[in-house]
Amino acid sequence: MGHFHHVGMSMGMSSGDDNSTMAPSHHHPTSSASHSHGHMMMMMPMTFYFGFKNVELLFSGLVINTAGEMAGAFVAVFLLAMFYEGLKIAREGLLRKSQVSIRYNSMPVPGPNGTILMETHKTVGQQMLSFPHLLQTVLHIIQVVISYFLMLIFMTYNGYLCIAVAAGAGMGYFLFSWKKAVVVDITEHCH
Amino acid sequence: SGPHFYFFFGSPYTSYLLPLLFDFWSVQSPAGMALSVLVVLLLAVLYEGIKVGKARLLHQALMSLSISTSQQLIEEIDQSSSSSESPAVSRTHLRWFLCHFGQSLLHVAQVVIGYFMMLAIMSYNTWIFFGVVLGSGVGYYLACPHLSMT
Repeated sequence: MGHFHHVGMSMGMSSGDDNSTMAPSHHHPTSSASHSHGHMMMMMPMTFYFGFKNVELLFSGLVINTAGEMAGAFVAVFLLAMFYEGLKIAREGLLRKSQVSIRYNSMPVPGPNGTILMETHKTVGQQMLSFPHLLQTVLHIIQVVISYFLMLIFMTYNGYLCIAVAAGAGMGYFLFSWKKAVVVDITEHCH
Repeated sequence: SGPHFYFFFGSPYTSYLLPLLFDFWSVQSPAGMALSVLVVLLLAVLYEGIKVGKARLLHQALMSLSISTSQQLIEEIDQSSSSSESPAVSRTHLRWFLCHFGQSLLHVAQVVIGYFMMLAIMSYNTWIFFGVVLGSGVGYYLACPHLSMT
């Protein structure tokens, strides 16, 4: 059995509104008569365990209670981790492709002795409002959110879900980085 | 005493440290505490090493495979063979597959160790925190010179 900790917090609560995000099964209902003290109990595992009964996953209402639900959650987390790795590599590829465009700006500049020189500025990269940069920003936000979701899933300390995260990351890296590595191979071979 | 959400130093009165990551990892003495800090430190060093190791593995594989593919091209031009898949080419593919598979295993290890370090820091024990930070520094210091390869 995993090592669970009950964090008892007593605070003054006027109503039970704050308990809506807690697990219903561990909720001590506050009687409507006494409003001075409410009591919240939180079950937070602090060591790894294997189980599928009453596993809360990220959102309230998303509770795993049966083996079938755990299997479904395993597949979903596995695919999410795979998608995260693919997104990372897709962003790298997009960045490399959009930075190929080089702009040359030539402008006349007064030089010594009254001659006119042509100064050429080379800019590599993206403009702020260009579509590739905006796309990169949107993808970055998605990537950050998914990475935090994966961290929170790992923080449930559930052995099955943690294995799903690790295996999904490995499979995603294997599938998507293969293609990226081949591309790098070709370009580096030509040097 | 339940889990803290502020940094603290473990002491004999609070049994030093709640079980860290696994049930069997409970600390009851100063020696156990020191050993736990050493283990997380080595984990952090290993994490930095794996990061550099992955990059080196990829670089070495690309070097060796680019050499072997150019050799195959020379052989095929000499022999003017018409077969599309000579044994040498499939050997290269196999070596590339094995290298990439090994890299994926390293990646899994990197992900798992990274999460373990995050969970260790989540214990909010200041000694453990110092161990992870120091291990990351030592690991980076030892591993990164190996990144510049010839």
